[in-house]
Amino acid sequence: MTKAGWRGLLGATGKARPGQLSVGFAVPAILVGLVFTLGPVIVIGVFSFLSQPETGGGVVYQFSPEAYRHFLLQEDFLGNTHLDLRYLRSFGLSAFQALATTAVCIGLAFPIALWMTTKTPRAQNFLVLVVTIPFWTNLLVRTYAWILLLSDKGTVNSVLEVIGLEPRQLLYNSGATLVGLIYTFLPFAILPIYSALAGFDFALAEAAYDLGARKLGVVRRVIWPAASGGVMSAIALCFVPAFGSFVQPVLLGGGKVMMVGNLIAAQYGEARNWPFGAALSVIILALTLLGAFALLRWAKRSSQKVSLAI
Amino acid sequence: MTTADAARPAADAAPAADAARPVPDAAPAAPAAPSAGDVAAPGGLTASDAEPEPKPVPRLMRGSIPQALLLNRFGGLGTISVVSLAFLYLPMLIVVAYSFNGGNQALIWQGFSWRWYARVFTDASIISATKVSLQVAAIATVASTILAVLYVLAMDRLSRAGSAVSTAILAAPIVVPEVVMGVATLAFIRLIGLSPGFVPLVLAHTSFCVPFAMMNIRARYSGLNPAYFESAADLGAPHWTVIRRIMLPLLMPGIISGALLAFVVSMDDFMISNFLASAGSTTLPIYIFGLIRKGVNPSVNVVATLLLILAVVVTTAATLLTHRQAKERQHR
Repeated sequence: MTKAGWRGLLGATGKARPGQLSVGFAVPAILVGLVFTLGPVIVIGVFSFLSQPETGGGVVYQFSPEAYRHFLLQEDFLGNTHLDLRYLRSFGLSAFQALATTAVCIGLAFPIALWMTTKTPRAQNFLVLVVTIPFWTNLLVRTYAWILLLSDKGTVNSVLEVIGLEPRQLLYNSGATLVGLIYTFLPFAILPIYSALAGFDFALAEAAYDLGARKLGVVRRVIWPAASGGVMSAIALCFVPAFGSFVQPVLLGGGKVMMVGNLIAAQYGEARNWPFGAALSVIILALTLLGAFALLRWAKRSSQKVSLAI
Repeated sequence: MTTADAARPAADAAPAADAARPVPDAAPAAPAAPSAGDVAAPGGLTASDAEPEPKPVPRLMRGSIPQALLLNRFGGLGTISVVSLAFLYLPMLIVVAYSFNGGNQALIWQGFSWRWYARVFTDASIISATKVSLQVAAIATVASTILAVLYVLAMDRLSRAGSAVSTAILAAPIVVPEVVMGVATLAFIRLIGLSPGFVPLVLAHTSFCVPFAMMNIRARYSGLNPAYFESAADLGAPHWTVIRRIMLPLLMPGIISGALLAFVVSMDDFMISNFLASAGSTTLPIYIFGLIRKGVNPSVNVVATLLLILAVVVTTAATLLTHRQAKERQHR
């Protein structure tokens, strides 16, 4: 394609407005994204249909649906094929952990965001900073803090001892993993709900009270429609990364809790089954995209509803 | 609060319905406030068509609503919120406290001491891992910030389809689960004939830092008044002079805070680096992951404290920069 053709495809031709650059300057960023984001995603899609070499990692360039078969079926040494639910269980566990994380995070984030919006602008700015700092703090640091708290001689057990209770094994189970996930993703839930509510005119809530609405009614019929977009982004921002989490299950679950993220990582480490790891990635990606589309449809429909309501 | 402030709610009330309008006074309060919108919208997770820009933050002014009334009605909120925010900070504060523990055990308190700080600052493995991390982060920050600035200055001229495609691509590292991005990048690196090491680390970090660098630059850009550039051009300033002397200086707070956030994102990344690093290019997060896996460790307390300080400093600086721009806009 000619240079002019590319430009026409990307954007307006002709001279840029003062202070702006011509459309060609956007190309490097797009190219980097295309090569290093879309590229790997395509490669992983291709790899999932290739074969595994006899030994070691990597792939053999020969078409094979084996990786996807391996997800559900297993052959025993007699050559009989039977259903293998191990990997589906990993998906189930991940879905459960992600759902629980999302539910708790949203349940806490909604009141927090609402509380933040009732503060003065100065206080709001400060509170946003308070929520943002954990958001930008190293994930390993945040996870490690819980190891310190929950380990056998850790802070929680010391407190238990002081008040006369038996110390117990708190670390290396799915409960610890869940606590770590909630701790990680709470700021991810607060911020979008807050920014949805921050533009909300609380005079509407006042008006609803004046017209005789009760507290729950005000929350459900006046505040919720304003917050729902933020809640939906919060759900996406908690669920997707929690579903694919790796660090918390390893460090707090002690590797006993095999979530999908660990399963995928293991295929590129000790298990050395790249095509299977690729297939698992493709399945996660497909689920993520489906969820995103559902959310998009919901947003389109409900935004109409919201605009009709206001 | 001045009279101007008190009068603003009334002035704001009329256009408040128009969510997509430019935001003159309500600057995004912190880097993540715009991120909330940006993170979700470009990936197609919210009704991005309706609201291309992050929503304006606080319009709630003291004069307009009796705050006390609202607080009374949502009495339980304060308790839940304060407890939750304590929940966010308490574990990290405990790590900071234990980093000053003089004992050999990470968890048995034996008096205040800088001992482990001294140990960490002379630990060859930690120093070399920190060096790798700093080198990768420095290159990735500069490269991604330049890419982001160029993109933002040209993005208004992208066609609808072009900008939809590009925002989706640029947001993908945030939407795709990290572990998937990690293994996919490893597969891709192998396919193009590279092997894990420093170069793949820099390339991958540059790529996933671009969206983070872009958030604040974009927010700053959309708040600028185009009249500045038009009048400069009318007065005869050449195209590049307008960009160099007017656009870039005005954009600078956004560029600096974008670069700071890109730096933190790069310094903190574990998941993707873990698949791309080789024995000679172990980054700090990869190294401390190895330590943490073995359990609690006094050196990790110190490194964790230092990384926490980095996050606090950078987030506060980025927030102050965006606040300054909010004040500038108020004076306009």
